[in-house]
Amino acid sequence: MKIGILSKRETGFAEKMQSYYEEKGFEVTIYTSRNLTVNKMLLENDFYILKSKQLLFLYAGYFLKANNIPVIPDPSISYKHKHRIESYYSIRNVGLNTPDIYLGTPKTIKSQFKQLDYPFIVKPLMGSSSEGIRIIKNSADFDSDENKILYIEKFIDGIHYLSYFIDKHICVGEKQPLKNEHSEVKIVPPDEDIKQALIKWRDKYNLLFGHLDMIREYKTNNLIVVDSGTFPEFTNWKIIIDPVSTICNLILERYREMANIV
Amino acid sequence: MKKLGLIIDKYHLEKKAQEFIQYMRDKCELSQYIEETYFVDYKEHNFDEDIFFVKGKGDLILNFAKLLERATDIPVINSTKGIWFAFNRFLNSTLLRKAGIRVPEFSLNPKDDKPPFQDYIVKNVRDQDNYAFDPEVQIINNHVIVHDKRALEETYEKNALYNFLYYQEYIESEFEYKIYGVGENLYYYKQKPLLREPNKMKTRTKIEPITELGEIAHKVMELLDLKITSLDFLNSDDNIYYLTDVNSTPNFNYMSNGPQIIGEYLLSQAKR
Repeated sequence: MKIGILSKRETGFAEKMQSYYEEKGFEVTIYTSRNLTVNKMLLENDFYILKSKQLLFLYAGYFLKANNIPVIPDPSISYKHKHRIESYYSIRNVGLNTPDIYLGTPKTIKSQFKQLDYPFIVKPLMGSSSEGIRIIKNSADFDSDENKILYIEKFIDGIHYLSYFIDKHICVGEKQPLKNEHSEVKIVPPDEDIKQALIKWRDKYNLLFGHLDMIREYKTNNLIVVDSGTFPEFTNWKIIIDPVSTICNLILERYREMANIV
Repeated sequence: MKKLGLIIDKYHLEKKAQEFIQYMRDKCELSQYIEETYFVDYKEHNFDEDIFFVKGKGDLILNFAKLLERATDIPVINSTKGIWFAFNRFLNSTLLRKAGIRVPEFSLNPKDDKPPFQDYIVKNVRDQDNYAFDPEVQIINNHVIVHDKRALEETYEKNALYNFLYYQEYIESEFEYKIYGVGENLYYYKQKPLLREPNKMKTRTKIEPITELGEIAHKVMELLDLKITSLDFLNSDDNIYYLTDVNSTPNFNYMSNGPQIIGEYLLSQAKR
């Protein structure tokens, strides 16, 4: 069987999956932006793993799906969980809390809020890591480009959690605000509401694995989801289950279901 | 009196929509949401419009329309799905081909790779900004190679947006066929293609309906959820029509009575 992995890099989790599958006798190609051509040449593989959600890989995922080649995770779900507005609605559809969100130019944003309303977080409209994210503590912190459309969220003051799930397994760590998945975390036993949030999220979108970034707000003790992702690197997965083999096997199982192979 | 909400950017407001606005002021109550000055609060769901018309495709416009679609029962034309498919060239080509609609061969390639066809046009990956196609044409070994200047800028300039290019196979055609779709109604025009005649509008003429194009246009509008559109077709040497472009914010000033036709259609779709 031939497997394609759509990934922004050849290293990390993509490389580990490649090694795992090759040891099992599969033929695996990793497609990065340097060697990915999206046309009928791609149809030679039996199925694809959508590791990255950058636009080119999403396009490839949609193209493959339209041509009846299974893609795991599903490209539509991956897009929705990467796009901030779609993700906001996806989170709320599960009954989970989100921060208040807004769109506007620095000029319109400044005209809407008083100093007491700050701080806010600026995030790129498409993105699910910490890249391009910054805190706006007051109106002077905005860029000089007054006409640029910005997505902003109310900053939540609280404990930040990186919460992974793989099938029924959960790994939760406390992390520093605005740090990415790879920064140091302190593994903690998951609170019941964190577990329930992950289960709801997984079941609603039929996910095999993924992550949610959540904040326990100091003021209210509410759990608020601030980010989601369909395929993290699992850098801070620190429980006994091996993420690579477990995920590779889950993907194979899902592929067999999709291809009706018993 | 019905109330229409116009979601628009400054460019369309100043350059494309004045006649429409003037016409609609006598027909309905009109509110304007301008991308550069409007602030979207996703907790705010109270809108008293009977219909929204989206004239633009910028990020704020599109994501404000998403709020309206998710949080209200007010019709939004065009839908965000339609607009998104229209400006994502690769996605609409993929979907249309799957549905059996003939589109030219297309491909996404790493920026330094050669495309899989010899005669081709490099178009911008996403046709989201207000910008007219600006072609650089070369004939190399009898093959036609066309680059849209912005497509190259978006991939090769300092703050490049992409590291790949969208290629569409070049179709030689004497005329370009432009079909405007407004609800169920279609309006047919033809003109010289831009590559043959830089001032192509000078050559535009209204034509009799072409059944084959009409059937394709209705199918495209249904598939992409577009209520108002313009579709560009080329007719190859072997008399096959290829759909080359889908537009969710057509310039309806080029249709005879365009602003009136659009305005009356929108009011017919209002929720009361």
